[in-house]
Amino acid sequence: MLVRESASLSRRYFSGVIVGAAGATTFAPCHIRAASKSPAKRKRVALITTIVRKFSHGQHFVDRLLEGYGWHGQHHESPLDLVSLCVEQFPEGEVSRERSRRHGVKLFPTIAEALTLGTSRLAVDGVLIIGEHGNYPRDAKGQPLYPRFRFFKDVVRTFERTNAAVPVFQDKHFAMDWREAQETYRDTQRLGFPLMAGSSLPVTWRLPAIEVPLGTPLVESVGVGYGHHGYYDIHTIETAQCMSERRAGGEAGVKSVQAFKNEAVWKLLAEREPTRRLCLAALNRSQTLKPAPGRTFAEPSIEHLQRVSPFAVAYVFEHYDGFRTTIFHFNGTGTTFSRDTAALNDFTYAGLTLRGDVLSTLMFLPMPPTMSTLASFFSPLVNHIERMVLTGQPSWPVERNYLTTGMTLFAVDSLFASGAKLDTPDLRIRYQPTPGPHFWLG
Amino acid sequence: MKPLRHLAFILEDFALQTPAQQLLDRFLFGHRRNGAFHKIDDLRISVARADSFLPPSTGSDLLHARSTETALQLTDLPTVLRDADAVIVVPRADSGTPAAANLSAVLTQAKRSAACFVFGALASDLPSARTFTTLAAARQITLAAGTFLPVTWRLPQVDLPTNAPVEESLIVVEGPSPLAELHALDGLLPVLARRVGGERGVRRVKFLAGRELWRSGDRKEWSWPLLSTALSRSDSPQGDTLVDGRTQDLVGLGQVPKLASNPRGWLLEHTDGVRTTLLVLDGVVADYNFAVRLREGGEISAQLFQAPVPAQEHFSPLAATIENFFRTGEPPWPASRALLTAGLLGACREAAPQPGTWLKTPELVMR
Repeated sequence: MLVRESASLSRRYFSGVIVGAAGATTFAPCHIRAASKSPAKRKRVALITTIVRKFSHGQHFVDRLLEGYGWHGQHHESPLDLVSLCVEQFPEGEVSRERSRRHGVKLFPTIAEALTLGTSRLAVDGVLIIGEHGNYPRDAKGQPLYPRFRFFKDVVRTFERTNAAVPVFQDKHFAMDWREAQETYRDTQRLGFPLMAGSSLPVTWRLPAIEVPLGTPLVESVGVGYGHHGYYDIHTIETAQCMSERRAGGEAGVKSVQAFKNEAVWKLLAEREPTRRLCLAALNRSQTLKPAPGRTFAEPSIEHLQRVSPFAVAYVFEHYDGFRTTIFHFNGTGTTFSRDTAALNDFTYAGLTLRGDVLSTLMFLPMPPTMSTLASFFSPLVNHIERMVLTGQPSWPVERNYLTTGMTLFAVDSLFASGAKLDTPDLRIRYQPTPGPHFWLG
Repeated sequence: MKPLRHLAFILEDFALQTPAQQLLDRFLFGHRRNGAFHKIDDLRISVARADSFLPPSTGSDLLHARSTETALQLTDLPTVLRDADAVIVVPRADSGTPAAANLSAVLTQAKRSAACFVFGALASDLPSARTFTTLAAARQITLAAGTFLPVTWRLPQVDLPTNAPVEESLIVVEGPSPLAELHALDGLLPVLARRVGGERGVRRVKFLAGRELWRSGDRKEWSWPLLSTALSRSDSPQGDTLVDGRTQDLVGLGQVPKLASNPRGWLLEHTDGVRTTLLVLDGVVADYNFAVRLREGGEISAQLFQAPVPAQEHFSPLAATIENFFRTGEPPWPASRALLTAGLLGACREAAPQPGTWLKTPELVMR
């Protein structure tokens, strides 16, 4: 058997025979598959992150760029060269130094140096900002103060200083503060560089593998998930928004946000028949809804939800065109969120059309360590990033991420204003979706 | 449509997260189907526990709890079978086949023209399987057998194009024998059945283990690239991934022989020349993945999805398939597949004592 020389050799310095790379494999043409073997033509990226330890977002992105990943029936080697890392925290168990040594990727102490490789010019073709995980304080609302905006501004300052700009990927939502998010968006417009952001939920497997046809007359979307506010809201909101934006007319923006908690959630479900119907339809795609004792699965019903999830949160978003999005988090039996006591561990979607049809699916995350050893749902996200850096075109409009950032932040604001309904004129963000599909198909 | 008023379960064990529990509960309480929760109205369900499953036990308590909260009847086998329109036989969770005596009793005592589904394989050898199909045919009982693997989700949701010319196929599974072999066959044979000419049987089988398994791959008796394709679909690589979460090119980095514990494989040469490799690679990955190479180039590959515990939702599409079978009287797949599976389980067992030697299987050539 021919093998690559050693797992300890750098991919960048050893691009020898790769046995097992399949011959002709079917793949969706919208995805980048083949790595360029010519070093001169390979594009270079820098990755800025809070921490690289097992199962941190930083590790998932770094390893897919350095080690490759399973993609369309082969082990795909990234067409991008990760040439620099800037990592903020190095606690016990962190692996960025090991990756740096093994792959010959230089660790820089500052973002500016990571982007310029210590020169006076911008020296990379793309930047990934992975501001998730690590030891950071929370704000008064319980949101983690991950330094995404600080990282982003350092990137922008480097762009300005070098009079150059390249595509940027920002993991999850832009920032934990709306003014910072607005500045993020304005900077991308001002400097004219592509920005793509968001959760892996829109791009992961769907069971069943459905897409909302463009122009579908949707009237309401429901996303059902779980998670601590400020951490997982973005996942469920993007689960819904990547479908909702495909409705007739495209996205019109969000005019108000209102949060509901516990008893108010059950009242909301009792009063709104279409929302209740969609919530149960989404739960009929869930594969993890907590069962009653002595059972292994449960029939979704409001009564069952009340039993297994007295801790529930909902966000209702009224859009400018009359469309409505409702997000539910069924967090189980605790008073604070814990993954172990959540009433479910997956993200599902249901959408209602004007004529009363329901579309529903599970956005499936093979989540380690319980369901897998790899968080494979990062693979399609990295593939989209590769495509953006190679082509200069983001897969979806940055306005989606701008809007979902705002939906997330205002939803948490409403939650901490005891469920006050907040008008959101800042979220009058209109956009048309790109055709897609962007989720994992092949 | 055939009437489905009374469904009998013959169970050889019962505990949470066993096939017996997952299937019984899906008929008793309902199951997810096409985005809704499907319940079967006006269906009487009875359970007979086979001899090896004696109270008191946790499983027995669980069954009694179900009988008190629903109309489930717990009784003996003759009573259960007397007027059942359909029967589901579920072996012990650690066995791929029901006890022969239990299946014989079912096929002897079930109502004439009933339908019978066996979870797993009919038997672990061809003569026994033939005995059962003959007995069923004599009593006009429609018989089918299988696991959830033919009907579970695939990641991605691919299938072999109908009448595609196939050159070679491979599946990677894990676990103890003979369940692992059953899962490999039940995962791959339904895919291969769609190739041009359909399944026409297997003319010889070779067992390989340990280093000889890897050497035979080097000799191109089976395909390392096809293994790489299959493993690219895995969500559960072991080794360094367990240590620090990294992705790995398991074949390209030469990790497969290092990680595999007691690796074993069977090479199957089909009557039409297609080559199939069944690999049981404990310690390499913990999920089931297959790859098929087409004759004119191109491959399809997927993970056969096993949904998270405790719900193991892959039993829901199987329950739907079984219900369709009972209502239409049309078995979900040809009886010949059940015979081939049983015959190949026997051949795999028979080949194991003589690694590296082709075992001719003329009895598995289908005409």
